Amino acid sequence: MSLMEPSYRPDRGTWICGRCGVPLEQGKTPIFYLNSAFDVELPRCPQCGLTLVPKSLAQGKMREVEATVEDK
Amino acid sequence: MLDQDGLHELESHCTQESPPHCRVACPFDLDLRAFLARMAENKPGEARKILERHVPLPGILARICDHPCENHCLRQSLGGSIAIHALELACLSADTAPGRTLPLPPKRFKVAVLGAGLTGLTLAWDLGRKSYPVTLLHTGTPESAVLAQYPQLAQSEGLRDFLAEDLERLGKQKVTFVQEALTPGLLDKVASEYDGVLVDADAAPDLGLEESAVDTETLVLRDNICVAGWKSHTATGHAFCSASQQAGQGRRAAQTLERLMSKVSITANRAKEQGALHTDLAGIASVPRVEAATALAGEPFYTPEEATREAGRCLQCECLICVRECVYMQKYKGYPRVFARQIFNNLSIVQGIHTANSLINGCALCGQCEELCPENFSMAELCRSTREDMVDLGIMPPSAHEFALEDMESASSEPCSLTLADSAVAQPAWLFFPGCQLTASRGDQVARLYGWLRETLNKGDKPGLALLLSCCGMPAHWAGRRRLFQEHTDRIRSVWEDLGKPRLVTACSSCLSAFRDRLPEAQALSLWELLDTLDLTTLAKAGQADTALPALFSVQDPCTARHDQAWLNAVRSLAQKCGVKLEEPRLSGTSTACCGYGGLVWCGQPELAAEMSAHRAAQLDHPGLASCIMCRDRLIASGKECWHLLDLLLPGGPGGTERGPGLSARRANRASLRKRLLAQYQGTTEEKPDALARVQIPDDLLPLLEERRILLDDVRGAVLAAESSGHCFQDQESGHWLGSWRPRKVTFWVEYEKQAEGFVVTDAWCHRMIVPGAGGQEAEEVVRTCQASMDKTREVGA
Ligand code: SF4
Ligand code: SF4
Ligand code: SF4
Ligand SMILES: [Zn+2]
Repeated sequence: MSLMEPSYRPDRGTWICGRCGVPLEQGKTPIFYLNSAFDVELPRCPQCGLTLVPKSLAQGKMREVEATVEDK
Repeated sequence: MLDQDGLHELESHCTQESPPHCRVACPFDLDLRAFLARMAENKPGEARKILERHVPLPGILARICDHPCENHCLRQSLGGSIAIHALELACLSADTAPGRTLPLPPKRFKVAVLGAGLTGLTLAWDLGRKSYPVTLLHTGTPESAVLAQYPQLAQSEGLRDFLAEDLERLGKQKVTFVQEALTPGLLDKVASEYDGVLVDADAAPDLGLEESAVDTETLVLRDNICVAGWKSHTATGHAFCSASQQAGQGRRAAQTLERLMSKVSITANRAKEQGALHTDLAGIASVPRVEAATALAGEPFYTPEEATREAGRCLQCECLICVRECVYMQKYKGYPRVFARQIFNNLSIVQGIHTANSLINGCALCGQCEELCPENFSMAELCRSTREDMVDLGIMPPSAHEFALEDMESASSEPCSLTLADSAVAQPAWLFFPGCQLTASRGDQVARLYGWLRETLNKGDKPGLALLLSCCGMPAHWAGRRRLFQEHTDRIRSVWEDLGKPRLVTACSSCLSAFRDRLPEAQALSLWELLDTLDLTTLAKAGQADTALPALFSVQDPCTARHDQAWLNAVRSLAQKCGVKLEEPRLSGTSTACCGYGGLVWCGQPELAAEMSAHRAAQLDHPGLASCIMCRDRLIASGKECWHLLDLLLPGGPGGTERGPGLSARRANRASLRKRLLAQYQGTTEEKPDALARVQIPDDLLPLLEERRILLDDVRGAVLAAESSGHCFQDQESGHWLGSWRPRKVTFWVEYEKQAEGFVVTDAWCHRMIVPGAGGQEAEEVVRTCQASMDKTREVGA
C-alpha cells in the first residue's frame, strides 16, 4: 500500500542549508508515524542531512496519512 | 470492556428496530410500513409482493381479515387509523401478478390436517409453501367449512373470487384434499401415519377437542398433534369467527409442527425480546381517513387514487427521538442500536482499520440522548467507556485528544496554576475553584469576584476563602484516560487536604461533576448556589446594570448541569435578582443541549463541534444567558449573542457579543491572572526577562495559527530553537528563514524574517509524523531510534 507520493519539492523558493550554505537536493528518507514507516524524497542538505517539510505536504498528505495510520 | 452480552443488553435498550404497533398486532407479522409505502407510491404490484411474503391465503384474508392492526395504528388519534384492510383489498384487486414461490425440494416429513376451516387452510398454505406434503382431510366440499365460517366469501359482487383463487393456489402447492368423516378414530390413525397433525377444531367439531386441552403458546395437544381454530367469544358469550384469530392460530400451529418434526425446541426464541417501538407524535397534524366513494360486497372499495392518498397518511412510525435532536448522531447516519454494534466491532478488530474511531470520539458526552430516550439509552456512557477501553488497548488515535490534554496540563501547572490560602483565617471554610476556562476567558471577573467573596464570607460565620487555579481534570475523563484523571484529581485532593479540607465552590458544572465523583468529601457546590444565599447589593452597585442588556434572554443550561437542580434553580434565581427575564427554550434544564464543548469534540473534530454550537444557537429564540463560560464563548463563536451570568452580576465585562479569547490567548490569560493575584495577595512579582518577546507574530496570522492548533509559544519557541541549534534553511529569493522544532509529539515549522529588533514570523505549520533531519535532532539519530522502536513493537506483536 503506497499512501505517499514518491517525492515532494519545496512549495517555492531556492533553499540553502542554514548550517552548510549549500543548495538543498531531493533525497530519499524514511519518515515515521506510530508503527508505520514510509520512504519519500524530500528537499535535503546533501552535507548534513537537514530536511525540509513543505507546508503543502504537512497540511495535505501528511494529515491524511496520520489519520489513516491512527485508525490502524 | 464491551462484550457480546453487554452488546445485546445495550441493543435491547434501543427500540428503533422494533416493529411498529400495527405490525405487532398482525398475527402474520406483515411489514406494514413497507406495504403502505409502496401503496402510497401507487405500486400495488410491489405492495403485493410484500403482502404475500407474510400473509397466508392473501386473497381470502384481504377479503375477510378483521384487522386488529388498525386498533393499534398510531394514526388513530390523528384523523383515524390507516384503513389497512381496505388497502389490502385494493392491493389484491389491482391487476397484478401473484407472487411466485421458488420450488423447493419436497420435505420428507408428511403433514395431515383434519378440517378445512380457515385455520386448517392457513396451515396447509404455510407448510405447503415450504414443500411439506400436506393432506387436507375434510367433510363436504373443500370450501364448505370456510364458507360456513365466513359466508361473505361467497359473495363476490364485482370483487374477484378470492376463495377460488387461493384454493387453486393451494392445489398448486401440492396440498391434497381428501374427503373423509372426521372422527376420533381417524385422528389416532393419522397421528401414527403422519409426522405432524393439525386438527382444525372449528371444522372438526365431532372430535370434541376443547381449547383448554392444548398448550396456549404452542397449541400442542399431545405428541405430534396440534389443535387450533376455535371460535372467539364476545364479552356476552356470543361465539363468532375472527379471521385474524383463526388464521393466526393456523400460522402458530404451522411453526410448532415444523419445529416438532425437525426436533427443534418448540419454545426457544419464538418471540423476539425487544422493547416496543417508541414514536413521538408531537407536532404531527391530524389528517382524516380517506372515504372510499364506492363499496363492493359491502366493503369500502378504494380507487387507486384513493388508495394512494390513504396509504400516504401512514406515519411510517419509527423512534429516532434521540437522533432528531443530536447533530452528531445525524452526522454518523445511524441510531444507538447500530452505533453500539459498530463500536463493538471496532473494539473486536485485531488487524485492520478501526472505522468507528471517529464515531466514538465524535460524541459530546452531553447525555441529552439518555434524557430523551424512553429507554434511557446513553450514547454518552457508551462512547466514554469505550474511549477508556481504547486507551487501555492502545488504539486511541493520539490526535483525538492530545491537544486538549496538553491544555489541561498547562492550566494545572506553572505558570497558570495557583493556590492561595486566605491570610485572614488560619483554616478557610471555603475553597474557590473558578475552573480553568472561566479563568482563561474572564480573569478580571474572577479576580473581582474572589476579592468580594473573600471579604463577604469573612464577615459571616464561616470565614475564609482560599483559591485554587487549575483544571479539574475533566478532559482526562472525557478522553478515556482513567489513570490520568485519577492522578489529576489526587493532586487536587492533596491541595484540598493541605488547606484543611474547605468546602469547594466552583463556577463550572464540569468541575462540579468531577469533584462530586472523585472528591465527594469536599461537598462541592456551585458558585451560583453560594451567591444566591448572599446579599449581593455590594457586589454590583444597584442600578449599575448594563444599559445594553437584552429585555429577554433564552437560558442556556450547561449539559453537565442537567441533573443539578440546585444549579439550575440558582441560575434562575440570580437572573431574577438581577432584574432580567428568562425564557426556557424547548430543550432546557434536564434536556438541555450541548454547546459543542463537551466530550473534547472540539479537539479532534472541530467542524462537528461547530455544527453542534450552531444547532444549539438556533434553538435559542433570544440572546442566550449561559452559566458556563464555554457555552457562552462557543455560542458567540457561532454568531449568537450570548451573555454569561457573571455579566449580570459584575457589569462592565465583555457582554454578549465580544468573542472569547483563542487558544493561545486563553493560556496567556491564565498566566496573567495568576500574576495579578500573586501581586495582589502576596506582593510577589516575578518578572523574568522574556526572550520570547523578540519574536513578533503579525495579527493576521493569529486565526490561521488557531486553526492549525499552533500556539504562539510554539511559534516563538520554534524560532528561538532554530536560531540556537542552527537547524534552519534560507530562501535565496525572499531571504526568509525556515526553522523547525519538535518539543513534543508535534514538529513545528516557522518561516520568518530577521530584522534589527528581532524576528518577524511570516508563516507556520506543523505535523505529527517524524521526519529525520527536521525538528532539531540529527537525521541519523532519529532514523536509528525510530527503527529500533518499530522493531520492538514488531517483536512484541509477534
Ligand atoms: S430514543 Fe434513540 S436510543 Fe432510544 S429507542 Fe429511540 S432511537 Fe433508540
Ligand atoms: S388486516 Fe389482517 S392481515 Fe392485514 S395487517 Fe391487519 S391483521 Fe395483518
Ligand atoms: S452528543 Fe449528546 S445527545 Fe448526541 S449522542 Fe452524544 S451524548 Fe447523546
Ligand atoms: Zn547542511
